[in-house]
Amino acid sequence: MRMFNFAKRNFKELIRDPLSLIFEIALPIFLLFIFQQIKIPGDTYKLENFTPGIIVFGFSFITLFTATLVAKDRSSSLLIRLGTSPMRAYDFILGYIFSLLPIVLLQDVLFFVVACLLGLKITFNIILTILISLVISVLFIALGILIGSLVSEKGAGGVGSVVVQLVCFTSGMYFSKDLIGKGFAVVCDVLPFEGSLNLIKGSLNHNYALISVNDIVVFTLYTVAVLIAAIFVFQKKMLNANK
Amino acid sequence: MVAIEIKDLTKKYKDKTAVNGLNLNIEQGELFALLGTNGAGKTTTIKMLSGLILPTMGSIKIQGMDMTKDTFRIKSILNVSPQETAIAPNLTVKENLDFMAGVYQIKDKDRKITELVKQFKLEDVLNKRVKTLSGGWQRKVSIAISLINDPQILFLDEPTLGLDVISRKELWQVIQGLKGKITVILTTHYMEEAESLSNRIGIMANGNLIAVDTVQELIKKTKAKSFEDAFVNIVTGGKLA
Ligand SMILES: Nc1ncnc2c1ncn2[C@@H]1O[C@H](COP(=O)(O)OP(=O)(O)OP(=O)(O)O)[C@@H](O)[C@H]1O
Ligand SMILES: [Mg+2]
Repeated sequence: MRMFNFAKRNFKELIRDPLSLIFEIALPIFLLFIFQQIKIPGDTYKLENFTPGIIVFGFSFITLFTATLVAKDRSSSLLIRLGTSPMRAYDFILGYIFSLLPIVLLQDVLFFVVACLLGLKITFNIILTILISLVISVLFIALGILIGSLVSEKGAGGVGSVVVQLVCFTSGMYFSKDLIGKGFAVVCDVLPFEGSLNLIKGSLNHNYALISVNDIVVFTLYTVAVLIAAIFVFQKKMLNANK
Repeated sequence: MVAIEIKDLTKKYKDKTAVNGLNLNIEQGELFALLGTNGAGKTTTIKMLSGLILPTMGSIKIQGMDMTKDTFRIKSILNVSPQETAIAPNLTVKENLDFMAGVYQIKDKDRKITELVKQFKLEDVLNKRVKTLSGGWQRKVSIAISLINDPQILFLDEPTLGLDVISRKELWQVIQGLKGKITVILTTHYMEEAESLSNRIGIMANGNLIAVDTVQELIKKTKAKSFEDAFVNIVTGGKLA
């Protein structure tokens, strides 16, 4: 299968860049650890709520480094070569997505190992949460592909950082949107990051009241729209030799 | 038999016409050299012929198949060595060959890879990451990869750029070996390369194909002393000769 062959190459390319692993794995683990040392009152920083936050935070770096990889590939002649090969648009997109799933899985496993060492109850919900988070990661990977198809390698770093910031502020991982005000709450509702976090939080806590219909609808719409846009833009850019 | 049939091929970028109404037939097994000054439109032509970019106008037929309809089938029988070295930087030479064999779904890939390693003398660099190799070695790997699917049509965009004299001569031998069997379109800025390798030569200037003929005929027509003089004469319209 061409897509798996491409995914294998992408995975090697990603894993051999230690910087990306530091941000995708080491930094979130560090934050998870640090925030458990300072005892902050309120539910937000309890392990069962903050670990999902750390997962979504880790995903924002998946977006950043996917965008960088795609932008780098587009600027190199490798993609020219692959563009003349019998690879189709979906081979490229799925090849990128599949290459990141093992990294997402690695993130999840390591985050939960650390969380459990810090005191998170070991339950079957963790397995379920990992499965759900793999689905959610597709949005973040697709967003990375879309960004990487639109901007240069440098730009990908910049726009990717914006996604990281948006996740920090609008997902609710650090504070509830209601603390800021009505306008801000609307922004959080129309962006998919709060929904992503709630889906993970709800499954980890086996408390589906945490997930609203809006969360599911917004997440699904974004995932479908971003995936379609990524395929469309990637292919169009390639066929027009538009760097 | 005609391997490549090009009709009115045109590529426009905003206000720039990179390739302007190209008409040309290339025979099966022919080695066709595309020459021209910087920016003449050679690379753009190759990109359209290899299905990478869409023409603004005109049509391309490869072995009777239409490029717009049979893109997928056409792409599996051709290969390109792009002007810039095209390899995966963090992968080793072996991994690169393996990866590209996967892209073309080569059945007997170990045999093919061994053959290319021998042909391009890659034994010593096989397990080195490509980004740690010198430019010339990267180039050789990039060219070796373009033979991985035993293409029937091969595009070589300035293949010998950055190669030392020995490597260049060795690559010429490889290309000579392909002659007659597969159709090769080669661009180069080295006149002696075009002279010694090609059956016919096409000369481009400002997006236009201004001359197509054998080396002998081009020299004869321009009454030049050498092929280089003939080339200069054709491209400058006799002003520099
Ligand atoms: N993506 C692009 N956007 C805009 N203009 C382009 C693009 N690609 C090529 N051109 C223009 O088209 C013209 C032909 O370029 P091309 O690369 O085909 O030339 P070339 O004959 O291969 O030159 P060289 O010998 O320097 O490699 C040039 O003027 C170039 O600037
Ligand atoms: Mg060129």
